Amino acid sequence: MNNIINSIKKEFTTTTLVLIPVAIAINIAIGELVVRLNLPVYLDSIGTILVGVLAGPWAGLVTGALANIIWGLIRPSSAPFFYVAAVIGLMAGLAGRWGAFNRESPRWLSVLIGAVFFFSLAMFILAFINLQVVDGFPVFPSMAGLLRQYALVFIAALIIGGAIGYFLLQNGAYAGSAGLITGVVAAIISAPTVAIVFGGVTGSGTDLLVAAFRASGANILASALAQGAVSDPFDKMLSFMVVWIILRSLPARFKAR
Amino acid sequence: MALIELSNVTYTYPAAKFPALQNLNLQVNEGELVALVGANGAGKSTLCYTLAGFVPHFYRGELKGTVAVAGVDTHTTPLSELVLTVGLVFQNPFSQISGSKFTVYEEIAFGLENIGLPREEMKARVEKAMTLTGIVDLAGRSPYALSGGQQQRVALASILAMAPKVLVLDEPTSQLDPIGTREVFQVIKTLSQQGVTIIMAEHKIEWIATFADRVVALAGGEIILQGKPEEVLASPLLPEHGIGISRYTSVARLAAQESLWPAGRRLPVTLTEALDGFANT
Amino acid sequence: MNSPFSLYVARESGLHHLHPLTKLTLTFGLLIAALALPWIWATYILTALVIVPLSVWGHIARPLLRAIWTTVMPFAISVFLIQGLLWGSGTELFRLGPVSLKQEGFVFATASTGRILMIFGAFLLFAMATRPDTLMIALKQIGFPGGLAYIIVTTIQIVPRFQAKANTILDAQRSRGLETEGNILVRARALLPLVMPLVLGSLVDVEERAIAVEARAFNSKRRETSLVEITDSQTQQIARWLMMGLTVGILIARVIWR
Repeated sequence: MNNIINSIKKEFTTTTLVLIPVAIAINIAIGELVVRLNLPVYLDSIGTILVGVLAGPWAGLVTGALANIIWGLIRPSSAPFFYVAAVIGLMAGLAGRWGAFNRESPRWLSVLIGAVFFFSLAMFILAFINLQVVDGFPVFPSMAGLLRQYALVFIAALIIGGAIGYFLLQNGAYAGSAGLITGVVAAIISAPTVAIVFGGVTGSGTDLLVAAFRASGANILASALAQGAVSDPFDKMLSFMVVWIILRSLPARFKAR
Repeated sequence: MALIELSNVTYTYPAAKFPALQNLNLQVNEGELVALVGANGAGKSTLCYTLAGFVPHFYRGELKGTVAVAGVDTHTTPLSELVLTVGLVFQNPFSQISGSKFTVYEEIAFGLENIGLPREEMKARVEKAMTLTGIVDLAGRSPYALSGGQQQRVALASILAMAPKVLVLDEPTSQLDPIGTREVFQVIKTLSQQGVTIIMAEHKIEWIATFADRVVALAGGEIILQGKPEEVLASPLLPEHGIGISRYTSVARLAAQESLWPAGRRLPVTLTEALDGFANT
Repeated sequence: MNSPFSLYVARESGLHHLHPLTKLTLTFGLLIAALALPWIWATYILTALVIVPLSVWGHIARPLLRAIWTTVMPFAISVFLIQGLLWGSGTELFRLGPVSLKQEGFVFATASTGRILMIFGAFLLFAMATRPDTLMIALKQIGFPGGLAYIIVTTIQIVPRFQAKANTILDAQRSRGLETEGNILVRARALLPLVMPLVLGSLVDVEERAIAVEARAFNSKRRETSLVEITDSQTQQIARWLMMGLTVGILIARVIWR
């Protein structure tokens, strides 16, 4: 037990404590920049991910939690999701420990991951849209049936996904996949809060997704989950990739910290 | 008994191949103002960090030899106690703002809160430090709303408020404009006249010549020359090791080659010395 | 931009002079009440009878109501439209062509909006009437870690500077020919040239600031003192305990009588 406490304490050097406010400010500045540029992503965890990778998982966790609470001082709607941001920071730190940001991946892996991701996304959306309510219970259509019905869509998803993987991930597929996984986890754990605290809506553009899912018959929690699953993984993958690029531009002595 | 004593100090940064300081021996007496000169990379900053204890406590790496400041061994004393004996001010005025205080007054008190001083004593020290550095009228301003020279004086005041026995300054004016430079040097001069022990790394030779008690020239992590300012700053060893010298010295050196400078007369460092010398040709 | 990143509105008022922990306890209690009380109208009543009068006492009624309006409205609209009209099966209240407003959806939306209203109302009231640094001092006095307090206050101070820096970089890059308008690919390509200078530039002096802060005995093991004095009173202390007790009571009651 003492060892765990010590390893947690070791992450919080003075340098880490000075880094965290800077990271939180980076979160907010980039998050707002993205709104300025009218891009359909959040990208509001880049600072958190940076701290996770540079200082460690526990530092990332604290950064995420604090970032949302402090941002909540101006935009109160982000505060209840502090635990999601904390988990993102934690997972970024773990990904950093496992070397996801140190190793270059082969290009074919990036193509593969992009293709698989878009394929799953297409499957997910189509399954929800074709949801039927039988005797009060939601019934998902079968995978085989969907594949046959929307074959063209799936092929397009594979191609587009592969292309995006190639150009976006390049040789940072390890970092990118870590981002994807983190995004999926984030979507899952934020859904209950959206459902319970916010009545199932986000108050922003992604509510169109919520409306679509609700119209197809999904319940509140499922729609919140679905909305997150469509937007979060891509957003986090993108964020991890930005951090990947940042880290490659930093002089070596930074990474020693 | 010297206030500061470095014996056989050798230090290598963690990822470096060559040592930044090699077999350095240095003594500083109480009340002295010692100026460190040297080319970039010669070890001035490293020496400053070593005096303040950040080498080895912050930078890790291997520090050999002994460093004793006011009777305290920097190896065995924790950094949080060392900073009470040695105050450190460095180049970038902006990065010395703690960020956690909204006014200059509170910013200067930041260090005093950390060491747990009672409120009345904090106020007395803050006000004294502000008077010394001439920033009393800035007390209510945000530290971010100041010029570089003002911010550097706030940094100085913040360290002075902690009443260290030694003040270490690492190129305190290199990022300031001429006005800011003059403001800061004025404060340093006053402090030196009041008997504060100061070690200052600097490039601005002409300023050093006016108030340093001793000059130490570094190259490659070693001391190549030390002594009175007039002697060290006029020495040909300095340009040989890439250390910038006063323009009056360079002009006089060229003039001496043309026999336009009185033979045997020491090369000038300041304008006054140059004028005197050329008037006597 | 030199105003710190917070909602704090400086006023001379009794509310502002209350000890930060008193206000924190109240806010926490209101938050729990908003989530735990089962009656739909409880949130609206408490907001009207507790939060609004307190804001009047603190001379911040107008900024508070304005902030509540801008924060809560987007959610209220979304929740009524989506959960009201797309509720699925239930009792219809009236039809609007292909969609119909269901009673269950309407009730749900009303409850949700009330909850959001009270949560944000309480939070905004607290933020507008409490200076962040005073809050941190109060928290440190009861054992809050100093490093955490440092992080929170520093973040509040430097965020506006970062926003300003981001704007400067935006202008600079634009004047160098960076396209920031157009189709989505163009805008996406503008992202990195804007993000990289911001991030790299700010990471550079992190190490130096760590040294500067260490030079000010940041890691001293001694007990910290505070330059600023915060006033407290026994009445407030008793009030805090009472509020905590009430909050815990509500929680327990909610758990028992599901």
